[in-house]
Amino acid sequence: MENMVNYDPSFAEEVFRDVDAGDEIKMCMNCGVCAGSCPLREHMDYPPRQIFGLIRAGKREEVLSSKAIMLCTSCYTCVVKCPRNIPVMDVMHGLAHYALKQGYVPRKDTASFGKEFWKQVYRLGRIDEKDLPRRVFFSGGLVEGIKAMLNFMDIGLRLMLHHRMKLLPERKIKGVKSLQKMLDKAEGLGKGGAAA
Amino acid sequence: MDKKTAVYICTGCGIGDALDIEQLKEEGTEDFTIDITRDHPFLCGQEGVDLIKQDIEGEGINTVIIAACSHRVNYDLFNFGQGVIVQRVNLREQVAWSQPAGEEDTQMLAEDNLRIGCSQAKDTELPEPFKAEEEYSKDILVVGGGLAGMTAALETARAGYQAILVEREDRLGGFLGKMKKLITLPYKEVSEPGAEELIKAIEDEPKVKVYTSSTVEKISGGPGLYTVEIKSNGNGVSERVGAVVQATGWVPYDANKLGHLGYGKFKDVVTNVEMEEMAASGKITRPSDGSDAKNVLFIQCAGSRDPEHLPYCSSACCLVSMKQAGYVKEQNPEAVNYILYKDVRTVGQAEDFYRKAQNDGNIFIRGEAANVGEEGGKLFVEADDELLGERVKIEDLDLVVLAVGMVPASKPDTTPRIKAPADAEDADEDGMIEVVPDSGFFANSALNLDYRQGPELPTLKYGFPDSHFICFPYETRRTGVYSAGCIRRPMETAKAIDDAVGAAMKAIQCTEATAEGKAVHPRAGDTTYPEFNMQRCTQCKRCTEECPFGAINEDEEANPLPNPTRCRRCGVCMGACPERIISFKNYSVGMIGNMIKSVHVPEEDEEKPRVLCLICENDALPAVDMAGIKRMKWSPYVRFIPMRCLGSMNLVWIADSLSRGIDGILLLGCRHGDDYQCHFIKGSELAETRLSKVSETLDRLALESERVKFVEVGITDYHKIPAIIDEFMETIDEVGPNPYKGW
Repeated sequence: MENMVNYDPSFAEEVFRDVDAGDEIKMCMNCGVCAGSCPLREHMDYPPRQIFGLIRAGKREEVLSSKAIMLCTSCYTCVVKCPRNIPVMDVMHGLAHYALKQGYVPRKDTASFGKEFWKQVYRLGRIDEKDLPRRVFFSGGLVEGIKAMLNFMDIGLRLMLHHRMKLLPERKIKGVKSLQKMLDKAEGLGKGGAAA
Repeated sequence: MDKKTAVYICTGCGIGDALDIEQLKEEGTEDFTIDITRDHPFLCGQEGVDLIKQDIEGEGINTVIIAACSHRVNYDLFNFGQGVIVQRVNLREQVAWSQPAGEEDTQMLAEDNLRIGCSQAKDTELPEPFKAEEEYSKDILVVGGGLAGMTAALETARAGYQAILVEREDRLGGFLGKMKKLITLPYKEVSEPGAEELIKAIEDEPKVKVYTSSTVEKISGGPGLYTVEIKSNGNGVSERVGAVVQATGWVPYDANKLGHLGYGKFKDVVTNVEMEEMAASGKITRPSDGSDAKNVLFIQCAGSRDPEHLPYCSSACCLVSMKQAGYVKEQNPEAVNYILYKDVRTVGQAEDFYRKAQNDGNIFIRGEAANVGEEGGKLFVEADDELLGERVKIEDLDLVVLAVGMVPASKPDTTPRIKAPADAEDADEDGMIEVVPDSGFFANSALNLDYRQGPELPTLKYGFPDSHFICFPYETRRTGVYSAGCIRRPMETAKAIDDAVGAAMKAIQCTEATAEGKAVHPRAGDTTYPEFNMQRCTQCKRCTEECPFGAINEDEEANPLPNPTRCRRCGVCMGACPERIISFKNYSVGMIGNMIKSVHVPEEDEEKPRVLCLICENDALPAVDMAGIKRMKWSPYVRFIPMRCLGSMNLVWIADSLSRGIDGILLLGCRHGDDYQCHFIKGSELAETRLSKVSETLDRLALESERVKFVEVGITDYHKIPAIIDEFMETIDEVGPNPYKGW
């Protein structure tokens, strides 16, 4: 048969070893509650359960280039519902970080948003509500940036009207150095998948 | 016995408000000789019970008719000892609570109910428990020396009874003795099988007598009176026992039928039993070249849950494969185990062991095996992965283990053929016919019962002995023979132990009850038994054939030879007998006939139809009571006559009732078929079969066939009772009054 999948346990071993929370996949019993409860299921190319199945089958390419692993919005529904107490959300994030580190970019905008978000938290200890979107919008070029800005103008004006977005740049939090130390240490605790 | 009868009417619980008690006392008892008639507002209170006791002591009353609540309540309060006949008449659930108060029809119903009760009490005699001439034995024969059999024997001995354990092989242990490790409660880790300890405990137990290399040649007699002929190492031995526990266990499903999974084609495809034996003997190797097995794939449900092979789940194979995967990992921590499954069924706490197997890194693939093949000296398996929705291939396998299911050891490989009866349609050229699957002939001999209905336990499905799965699991269709362990249904060790204990206790109960002349489940404690008036027997064989428990043997002239200790007192024989020669002390064709006759049938111009409802007292009657408790209403024209089992219904009652002008007859019995609820297995089915022959009677009387109807009712169907009755009353309305009224 042409597109027969050959089971190859080496990728599963790689995931168990190198991906944050990757070894939790072992305990999956394929009930599908995670997929059934995921609010983003319809936007995913593979639901979490199938991602786990693909890992077991050894389909490295499909897993690391799947959009699903980057779509997770950390709503925690799957974590709450999993009968086997698998932190499905952590696994998805772990896989996303691992994919980026391995040079896969399943969703460019999500990746760049994540990168900017992380940088800003690291630098300021908080998010600058106008600086972050600006950086994300213009990461794809000037024209894309202006288009995106016009798209979000309505929301931006209202945020300002309700004093939710300041005109001046955000300041660093107190003791941002200590926060950075903590974040550095946390990164060291992971399996090296977390992208700074 | 000289009867002195008293009637007590309770006026509590709304009965007094619904009825004219004075009129009831007069009308309801006028046809009978009643010595005392009293009413009391609270009969089940201390004062009420004392009132009855005073009459029993002071006035010499020995027959007490209590017209109050259902016989299903307060039976302990209204028990006045062995010498007093107690007859209950239902005025509460079936009258006061389900009919409008103060109406004429309600009053007539109550009067009829009281008359029915008085008539029944008149014909009831005090039962004398059956006592056999021989001495009763209370020893227990356990057939099969595996885990279930050994446990049953040991438990019997520990309860103080002598056990006789018969094992076919030369040593005890069964499958337990062949295991490397055991996975059982609390399902965290594997443990030692413990067969040696169990065998030692049996050897040290003086109350267990062990026969190895032995088979049961013949079991004759009945509970309490069995004579067992054992062939032990070629010698014949005879033992007397009171009851039998069959624990003959299971055999693996024949893997030669699983050629599509590579069994027989590739040496490295083995069954789970072969895998276990290999592991127990030391090392797990490839049978083809003797090298160590590293990558192993387990195919779950190999032949199970497959209509072509075993349609059922054996419930233990999942755990067994996980356990065996552990052996492989223990031998080589680098080994990779794949478990290809349809559904993992590790019930209850066993889920912990599933978690452990997952955590150990075994790879579980949900899907079905499509092909097993060989490439370069290694096996591969192609499977339809349900999760990926694709065909997958698992290569580089050293060993493929087929997790085959359990088949009851009593199930023969081929369906036996016997000489067909003359009127059989599907007999072959030689006049032979396949044995009906649930007859006693359809089994490999382990018990060799000397019963007219066959040498083994009748089976229901898949070759497992028939028993009620939920309500009375160990009971079989042979009184005094209890099944335990994998002969009853596939199960794992922990459940087999529970089973063995349960069956042993049932067997002990049976010997004790039998020695007192009492019936066992479901009429536990009943001291009546069927008595045959042999002078009038026509040797028609209906009773010997229809008895659901094979209680009646036959001599050469086809005379019935009843075995009262095998009897469950359902009365199916009584319903079967066309000569009406079978009766119980408190239940007979004549008695029910008189009860029917005591119902007053109004004249046609009164426009008050009368419907008789013959009702099974095990499920349907409680359902009616429950409907009454829920204050549901139904037609006041129905008169309920309780039956021990609808199978005891004799067609003569139907003919009698219709010729007396009763407009219709409704039969409420249990569900039948494969998922039967009948307490006596075949009773309600037999009743319906008999009913199909009632059309002749109706034709003879020139009556409409709609006047007789059978309805299956479960105990949970109480809410349907009013609708069933109303529907039938409409039919009766349509066909009009019975023309025989007033004849």
